[in-house]
Amino acid sequence: MESFYPKNGRVVLHVDMNSFYASVEIAHNPSLRGRPLAIAGKPEERKGIIVTCSYEARTFGVKTTMTVWEAKKLCPNLIILPPNFERYRGASREIFHILRRYTPLVEPVSIDEGYLDITSSYALGTPLAISELIQQELLERLMLPCSIGIAPNKFLAKMASNMKKPLGITVLRKREVPAVLWPLPAVAMHGVGEKTADKLAGLGIMTIGDLAQASDHVLKNRLGVRGIQLKERANGIDRRKVDPEAANDFKSVGQSITLPKDETKQQELLRVLLQLSERVAVRLQRKKVLGESLSVMIRYKDWKTITRSKKLSGPIEKAEDIFAEAKQLFLKNWSGNGIRLLGVTLSDLTEKEQADVQLDLFSYEQEANKASLAEALDKLDKKYGEGVIQPASKKKPAGKEAAPDMDGKKSE
Amino acid sequence: MKFSIQKDRFAQSVQDVLKAISSRTTIPILTGIKIDATEEGIKLTGSDSDISIESFIPQEEEGKVLVDIQQTGSIVLNARFFNEIVKKLPSEKAEIEVISSFQTVIRSGQAEFSLNGLDPDEYPHLPQIEEGEVFKLPTDLLKALIRQTVFAVSASETRPILTGVNWKIEEGQLVCIATDSHRLAWRKAAVETDFNAEYNVVIPGKSLNELSKILDDSQEPVEIVITDNQVLFRAKHLLFYSRLLEGNYPDTSRLIPTDSKTKLELNTKEFLQAIDRASLLAREGRNNVVKLSMIDENLIEISSNSPEIGKVTEQVRSREIEGEEIKISFSAKYMMDALKVLEGTEINIQFTGAMRPFVIRPENDDSILQLILPVRTY
Repeated sequence: MESFYPKNGRVVLHVDMNSFYASVEIAHNPSLRGRPLAIAGKPEERKGIIVTCSYEARTFGVKTTMTVWEAKKLCPNLIILPPNFERYRGASREIFHILRRYTPLVEPVSIDEGYLDITSSYALGTPLAISELIQQELLERLMLPCSIGIAPNKFLAKMASNMKKPLGITVLRKREVPAVLWPLPAVAMHGVGEKTADKLAGLGIMTIGDLAQASDHVLKNRLGVRGIQLKERANGIDRRKVDPEAANDFKSVGQSITLPKDETKQQELLRVLLQLSERVAVRLQRKKVLGESLSVMIRYKDWKTITRSKKLSGPIEKAEDIFAEAKQLFLKNWSGNGIRLLGVTLSDLTEKEQADVQLDLFSYEQEANKASLAEALDKLDKKYGEGVIQPASKKKPAGKEAAPDMDGKKSE
Repeated sequence: MKFSIQKDRFAQSVQDVLKAISSRTTIPILTGIKIDATEEGIKLTGSDSDISIESFIPQEEEGKVLVDIQQTGSIVLNARFFNEIVKKLPSEKAEIEVISSFQTVIRSGQAEFSLNGLDPDEYPHLPQIEEGEVFKLPTDLLKALIRQTVFAVSASETRPILTGVNWKIEEGQLVCIATDSHRLAWRKAAVETDFNAEYNVVIPGKSLNELSKILDDSQEPVEIVITDNQVLFRAKHLLFYSRLLEGNYPDTSRLIPTDSKTKLELNTKEFLQAIDRASLLAREGRNNVVKLSMIDENLIEISSNSPEIGKVTEQVRSREIEGEEIKISFSAKYMMDALKVLEGTEINIQFTGAMRPFVIRPENDDSILQLILPVRTY
């Protein structure tokens, strides 16, 4: 088998689950199979936004980020479910558990995709055979479809997995880059968003091939070091290792909410901000980390999006601390225009065990009291389920709750 | 102005007043040293407007002539250059003469410097302190009071009042308190006074540090006069003025625990050395945190763990452990700072809980205590 593996170099797989949330729902309730299905925040809200949809729904033209109302117009029989993140996290854990049996070098990228370095797994078969085994096992045991890219590095593996969906397996060799990747528009490249594509277009770079042959000097001037990096990628070069630890030092914990309408009322926006702060706090506590940088994302009704960050004086994890900082940052940067989406993210994370807090003579008594309150709430949550006790401010008449965006995924 | 003076004595005085002079002052004349020659002797003044120091060299001391004054007068000379010049003069004597419009000649041996001076009339007047209520402390005790408290003042300007040491005088007792809100130093001493006045002032930590450097280690009394916004320390041939900090010092008396749930008795030196060793690895972390826990009725364990570097544990014998078992984390630096200023071979530590301040005192000495806030580890 070793002869199928390169002598110098690696074999990297990118495993990408196909319409993950929808697939998990179908696996959970097989009667949904073969029917157009979409996951959307609060389906009863016409303006709720589609997070994922099944391939059947896609044939009707239903797309992610459409409103429920638009999607229903295209596909009147569309079944819409609210997201169940606990279920998705559970499925994700099982997926990575399976992947780790093929190689210890598994790097989760998000809830539904990951890289595997199988260079040393030749005893299990050729790279293609291993990919088939993985795809089958995920499908048979979890009823979850995935696409797999096989390549000498992460970038090419990622590009390859994207080429055939659902249930594709694509091999992308470095020597095939000019024929396969170069004709594609630059925006099709992983790592090039719309903004970067605009900048590239300004330089006359329209395709990945243009980028691969662009001058270093020009790229560096316009895009900095990242320009050079993108050019390397366009030539099929990517030196990043598959790092199983990468996911352990998660870079950030964030939450965003798409509002049911363009919101201009400060009071309501602050209530949403508080809600987000509380969710971030819950996730920080679950991951046992504290954050030392905070950012607030505001998307206006015209989709113009701004993100403002702030370095904090010390690590925080409590909802009230997060909210106090987020509120300040938000009020400083909000233009007053109607808001579509709000997000709060904490980054610069440290693990709790290492994040010690020096108590203060003038406030230790409150700290001590709060600590015992938090412990008590924690116990109640464990006993009766999460959120059994909530601050009164969270209680609102039913039906007005906004839907969370893609939990666990970073919005770019 | 013209005089000749014994160089070593002169250089020492220049050094002393230099402590008050800052190169970053916004008032240009304060970068200078003011020299006044009178019939009685030479007076040197330095000031940064927060601290002002006056050093006097009498014409004659213990039958020895120190200064020979030929013409009285005043001048202000650049402190940095003047200090360097005086230190390096070749002969045992120096002669200073203002020749014309502030130009000053300094002669010693075969060397002759000419320095451009500044108009002494432009030098600000030092605060006028009424000779009112005076109280006295021996120099060595004053220095001990400073050393045992000033290290705990806050280095941050977020609460300016905490950058000073709180001095409270009541019924012949002086209580000094300093805290940066993470630890607190408390020291009490009897003062000698003919008055019954009560004071509650805050002296900048920086002033006390400088004062302590200038004072020698004698038992001579230092006279202290406190006004609304100034404090004056008067030692032999030396006046030290400091501005007081404005604002009320927080009342810390209720924050110092009076009860105790756990009490340890330890040998100061052994404990200090164990903390020092444990902090070797802890220093890299954010807070330099060490853990203290109990093993049995007369054994405690000091430990520290920095995941990237390694860990350390050490057992320390306690003469006695009373009360509940405790596990507590704290900053090794704060503990070492506190232990270093406690005199006495045995100390006791009183805890009231892992999330509450604890108090360290020397055995059989209630004139001093050090309080430290623990670190909450998750």
